[in-house]
Amino acid sequence: MSPSTDWRVADNRIGILFIVPFVVAALVFMVYPVLESVRLAFYQHNPLNPDASVFVGLENFRTIFDDPLFWQSFRQAAIWTGCSIVLQTVIGVLLALLLHLPLRGISVFRGLLLFPYIVPTVVIALILQWMLNPDIGVVNWSLRGAGLIDESIYWLATPNMAMLSTIMLNVWKYTPFVTICVLARLQTIPLELYDAAKVDGAGPLRRFLDITLPQLAEVLVVVVIFRTIWTFNKFEEIYLLTKGGPGTSTFNLAIYSFEQSVASLKMGVGAATGVVMMLLLFAGSLVYMRVFRFASEEAE
Amino acid sequence: MSELGVVRRVLAYLVLLAVTFLICFPLIWAFSTSIKGPKEVMATPPRLIPTEATAANYRNLITGKEQYFRADQAYVPTTAAPQHFIAWFTNSLIVSGSSTLISIVISTLAAYSITRFRYWGRRIIPYFSLLGYMIPSIILVFPLFLVMAQLSLTNSLWSLTFGYVSITLPFSMWLLWAFFRGIPIELEEAAMIDGASRLRVFVDIVLPSALPGIIAAAIFSLIVSWNDFLFARVFINSIENLPLTVGVMHFFEGVHVDWGLMMASAVLMTVPMAILFMLMQRHLVAGFGAGAVKG
Repeated sequence: MSPSTDWRVADNRIGILFIVPFVVAALVFMVYPVLESVRLAFYQHNPLNPDASVFVGLENFRTIFDDPLFWQSFRQAAIWTGCSIVLQTVIGVLLALLLHLPLRGISVFRGLLLFPYIVPTVVIALILQWMLNPDIGVVNWSLRGAGLIDESIYWLATPNMAMLSTIMLNVWKYTPFVTICVLARLQTIPLELYDAAKVDGAGPLRRFLDITLPQLAEVLVVVVIFRTIWTFNKFEEIYLLTKGGPGTSTFNLAIYSFEQSVASLKMGVGAATGVVMMLLLFAGSLVYMRVFRFASEEAE
Repeated sequence: MSELGVVRRVLAYLVLLAVTFLICFPLIWAFSTSIKGPKEVMATPPRLIPTEATAANYRNLITGKEQYFRADQAYVPTTAAPQHFIAWFTNSLIVSGSSTLISIVISTLAAYSITRFRYWGRRIIPYFSLLGYMIPSIILVFPLFLVMAQLSLTNSLWSLTFGYVSITLPFSMWLLWAFFRGIPIELEEAAMIDGASRLRVFVDIVLPSALPGIIAAAIFSLIVSWNDFLFARVFINSIENLPLTVGVMHFFEGVHVDWGLMMASAVLMTVPMAILFMLMQRHLVAGFGAGAVKG
């Protein structure tokens, strides 16, 4: 037995001791809540009267699948996620290409880019509500000043505009995420590839399509999957700006679940919605792991 | 990459300036509104530079003075008296600080354990964490609320502290695992063969080399818990125990929304994060590199 395996065995107890707090915290604050929410999905549970909890089988799932608002929320979540992700990815990649240019002072811009990420969602939602105020907000007054509109746009009071506003918030806050990931990858592409292509007479667009894009493909797939999963389940970015309104026109599944649990006091129905969201998330994660494994096999 | 022509360089800077403007304008506008008097806040067209700057909104938030507004003939109290602002601010500091501390201590010990020892099940912990940080708060919040109710912790800052641990622990764990894996083990082994105890090695060799990772994890953890709205909205029901994020929403209650006051609180709420951002920018980028971003 070598001396190194010797001490490994001897003080394995410290290793176990160090992992115990994590295991306890994970069981109490992560595993239990998830299991509990799955259990709740099969019960009728009113938080004001927790003793009257009744097992109802699949009733909660039947309720949400029969509820047009659930499907509307689902559709709106898909639209919201789709638009946000496309915009974030396109703008994010363009910005990364721009920030990759050899310009003086570029690192200042790179640093600044992370700023929206640290601004609390509450803060940007408050500011947007103020800026988008139809009568005295700066956005309408700027558009009016530029002669682009004659009448006030009711940004948060008309369904389409409210949806657009929540997308704007999301794009503002999370495009930097895409840019940082893409930029990190860009910096690892060997310059020789470009030099070789230039010798062959490839123009900038050709070089982008033939060299940059294929190199970025892997990181883009990962980023898009992650952002899709997170964006689809977002609560605060919409709730704080529009509360899901006007009416229910910006509801997504997270807001639907929240309203069922808090406003209607149907925690079981809210939990059933949560279970549907979790199943979608697992499906997304499976796709991610497939792609990840595929990508790492490619790389080998 | 090759040299750029002058025209392209100018174009690139113009686009960068436009992007900078879009990134910064909301906060600049919030600040401009926050230093305007009540009349000028409502004036149209709005001006970026106030004709008369005032610190009244900030003073009122910090001293907790009730503000009054002239509505028709009578003086009526505005939306919400700002007397709780300092309490909210303190609550936010306490809760995000303590939950970050707990998460970081737990995940540092765990990351050391799973990268330096061999026992059954250690391999699944990072993947379990990755899965954990994909689960949205909306799924965790109500069951956690029931847990807190069983522990009689609802409506206390403890409930928020533990609630935030449930979101910050998985990604701290994932980040620190990736980080600890990258620290070469030879130095530790050499020290131990020389007779240093396991604890000595952990404190003197491992912790210093893991510090950048620990700092990155702590920053992300602070950001996430400072920004949370949902947990506080569900867990806390007395006004003096709220953190800032839910507290400032009370400014919307009432007949008249005081936008000057609101924007001043938005600016003050961003200040701690902005300071953290400026001090720790380098580490933040490192954290992004390690893939530990909750978005």
